[in-house]
Amino acid sequence: MPDQKQLNLFRIDEGTALAVLREAQRSGADYAELFLEDTESTRIEMIDGKVESANYTRICGAGVRVLLGTQCAYAYSADTGKQALLKTARAAAAAIGEAKHAPNGEIAFSMQRFTTPVSQPFDEVGNADRVAVMRLGARAMKDESPEVTQAMVRYLDSVQRVMLFSTDGVFVSDERPRTRIFLQAVAMKNGEAQTGFSGPGCCRGFEAYHNGIDVEQNARIAAKMAVTMLHAPECPAGRLPVVIDGGFGGVIFHEACGHSLEATAVGRNNSVFCEKLNTKIASDCVSAVDDGTMPGEWGSINVDDEGGMPRRNLLIENGILKGYLIDKLGSRRMNLPSTGSSRRQGYTFAPTSRMTNTFICAGSDDEDEMIATMGEGLFAKMMGGGSVNPATGEFNFSVAEGYWVKNGAIVSPVRGATLIGKGSEVLQRIDRVGKTMWMEAGMCGSLSGAVPTNVGQPRIRISCMTIGGKGGAIE
Amino acid sequence: MTYPEFAKSAMDYAKRKGCDSSELFYADGESFEVNANEGEIDRYSVSRESGVSVRVSYRGHEGYAYTEAIEDPQRLVDHAIDNAACIESEDERPMQTKQTYQTVLREDSALKQISESDRIALVKRLESLCLAADARVKRVVYCSAEYGAGNVVLENSLGLCAQKSSNHSIIYAMPSVQEGEEVQTGFAFRMGRDAADLEGCAKEAVADALGKLGGKPVDSGNYRVLLKPYAMCDLLAAFSPMFSADNAQKGCSLLAGKEGLQIASKLVTLWDDPFDPIAPRAFDGEGTPCRKKAVIENGELKTLLHNLKTARKAGVESTGNASRGSAAATVGISPTVFRLETGSASCENLVSELCDGLIITELEGLHAGVDEISGDFSLKAAGFLAESGVVRRPVSNITIAGNFVTLMKDITALGNDLRVAMPQGGYYAAPSVLVRRLTVAGI
Repeated sequence: MPDQKQLNLFRIDEGTALAVLREAQRSGADYAELFLEDTESTRIEMIDGKVESANYTRICGAGVRVLLGTQCAYAYSADTGKQALLKTARAAAAAIGEAKHAPNGEIAFSMQRFTTPVSQPFDEVGNADRVAVMRLGARAMKDESPEVTQAMVRYLDSVQRVMLFSTDGVFVSDERPRTRIFLQAVAMKNGEAQTGFSGPGCCRGFEAYHNGIDVEQNARIAAKMAVTMLHAPECPAGRLPVVIDGGFGGVIFHEACGHSLEATAVGRNNSVFCEKLNTKIASDCVSAVDDGTMPGEWGSINVDDEGGMPRRNLLIENGILKGYLIDKLGSRRMNLPSTGSSRRQGYTFAPTSRMTNTFICAGSDDEDEMIATMGEGLFAKMMGGGSVNPATGEFNFSVAEGYWVKNGAIVSPVRGATLIGKGSEVLQRIDRVGKTMWMEAGMCGSLSGAVPTNVGQPRIRISCMTIGGKGGAIE
Repeated sequence: MTYPEFAKSAMDYAKRKGCDSSELFYADGESFEVNANEGEIDRYSVSRESGVSVRVSYRGHEGYAYTEAIEDPQRLVDHAIDNAACIESEDERPMQTKQTYQTVLREDSALKQISESDRIALVKRLESLCLAADARVKRVVYCSAEYGAGNVVLENSLGLCAQKSSNHSIIYAMPSVQEGEEVQTGFAFRMGRDAADLEGCAKEAVADALGKLGGKPVDSGNYRVLLKPYAMCDLLAAFSPMFSADNAQKGCSLLAGKEGLQIASKLVTLWDDPFDPIAPRAFDGEGTPCRKKAVIENGELKTLLHNLKTARKAGVESTGNASRGSAAATVGISPTVFRLETGSASCENLVSELCDGLIITELEGLHAGVDEISGDFSLKAAGFLAESGVVRRPVSNITIAGNFVTLMKDITALGNDLRVAMPQGGYYAAPSVLVRRLTVAGI
């Protein structure tokens, strides 16, 4: 039974969808897909306990993608009327070759409707409720220390409603609610400023703030980080052991390895992990997974943006490369099946292979022992962001909260540290993997735009890594 | 519903609902992007987009709402009023009144007059030029051409009406070269009127990649550094939020209250030039007429960048730096074209002046390794080692760390080799810059 509410939202019926797909195939494309999106979001920003700005946005439009072998063309438009959709389809078709007759015949669409269980939908929540949650965070940051000179809270909720039709018979509707609260504290003293942050998010309704996301707890983490870093000396520079804490520390794996396992890189021979399936790429203690099925998680998806089902993709098992993240186009390039990993920010992007919830699995090492036996080095408690060149595997990322370790004991917080290296080398140098894995939310940018992803890991140790900082070279 | 009907209906409705003023920001555009891989088109995208944002002033507060469905103006205005009602900040946010603008001529970019099929042929040729340039070029990781054109209409109930159209073109290539087991990538782009210069782009990209072969870290320590133009543009872009009066007023900029003080070396003059031919514009995101001004002159901070809100708060005139990141975004502040004034030294002279030190050609991790509030940065970098004024060997896998405010004070010479880049979507221009000291992490 087609979902009438969804159909009405886009004012499209199966007949129109069929006509659009056929138009898109006029120049000989062997696959065509129509993606429709209607996303409503609310963003509110609060500075020092006062609401500074509030914005509502509604993004809507449609995109048509065609494939001919491994050639790909995408056209999109903010206009979702039937004539505009047909025109968009013609634009995509024109990129592949000259228009011929549209193929005949029916496509048997089989309707699948996905929703995310929500007990408090965002359109039933007023701004007063949102602001009340934000105020808890702002207050908790300020209360933490008088050195917190500024508390910033950014709130987002959005519902992305999509429909997808393809010549494979895919006919999918999905509703994707997400919310995130980003807490940032600035501590200032004597002309110096340091920041701390925390940004939990999930794929649920507003109920997440009563049951799941502890705003005050996250606010205290942000404030403590800023104050600790304000009193921290600059991080020394050199090559030494590094312990990276769990949770957002998983950004190392995301950058150093995850991106290089995406078909976007592997399928075009731009990855250090090409042709390495079933070979050893990491030390024995490393297993890693990308799992889009975890209920309510920030990086989870009900269905991917080609109509594929998400799953738990084993990437590395005891150091052996077991799988890649593959979309339809990547599947054609690599001769391997899709892995339910096709994602896009919205209709202005063609989909491609992306991560969901990506993490290093829990291991068996003791979290305290790995610091006690590291000698001198860096304990990176909270990571900042980073990036990677997939062709070389070289990555860099910043350490938001770091501690210097000497003789196996923490001696001082340190600020301004950066970690750089090569993914393939770092994976081989992981010599400890802790017992407790957790994840944290982030936004990942790539060819198909910014998508929500979780990164995660237990606490791990890397035997040797380049640490950048301006505290001078280590003696 | 046509857009003019929508606009009139929205402003009428806002007035009926008790808004003191209302403003509509409409943007539409078309874009074209193609990427070539092994002689085929492997990514191709064309689009038509449009959207409108309404901003209302309601009981002394402002609220925003944006939509791409030009169909229900009342619902949009209701959302904006709803948002205005939850604002607690006491800052006044005036809207601009009717203005006259100077005529700005922006030359068409190179890909405007070229058909789509010719643009496709162009990137395929760019790829083959890269591949043919040297036997060590194995593939071209990215090889793209992008063209975009758009219109903006800004109007409000105070009589403001401003319109502009623009188009832009860019081509870029990222070849990957291999020697033995070692793989390196290079990058080059051409934009605006130069976006059809395939030979120059391919040659520069391949030379960039080949130059990195054999690169290795240097010993950790403090080095004198020559920052090449693109690296300096990256730093200017990353730390441009420091010059925002909004950040200063919120206590998030170390430059707050520093107007009139020496904040950089006497050699440093930094322009905000909205009329630079690379991207000239007559008005800013609020409809305020743009003007050229020195932000830093001979090391002295002359002004921060203002929009109407921060100017009202500071009791000054807006500098014409209100920005809308997109039609969906709220009004912020950004530079127009930020240009660091050139010096007189040639690049060769700067290398001799550097004597022993590092030449940094490339920075990575700009979205993560900079703290615009503290000014600290720690970034992955690549370039060359200079000894006794001679370039010795490529350097890779190092980080450079420092503080932007300190760096601006530590500038000892500027080159005459100005280059323009578009880091983070803005326009930045800088020459090579010689810096007294940065901390390097290598071996």
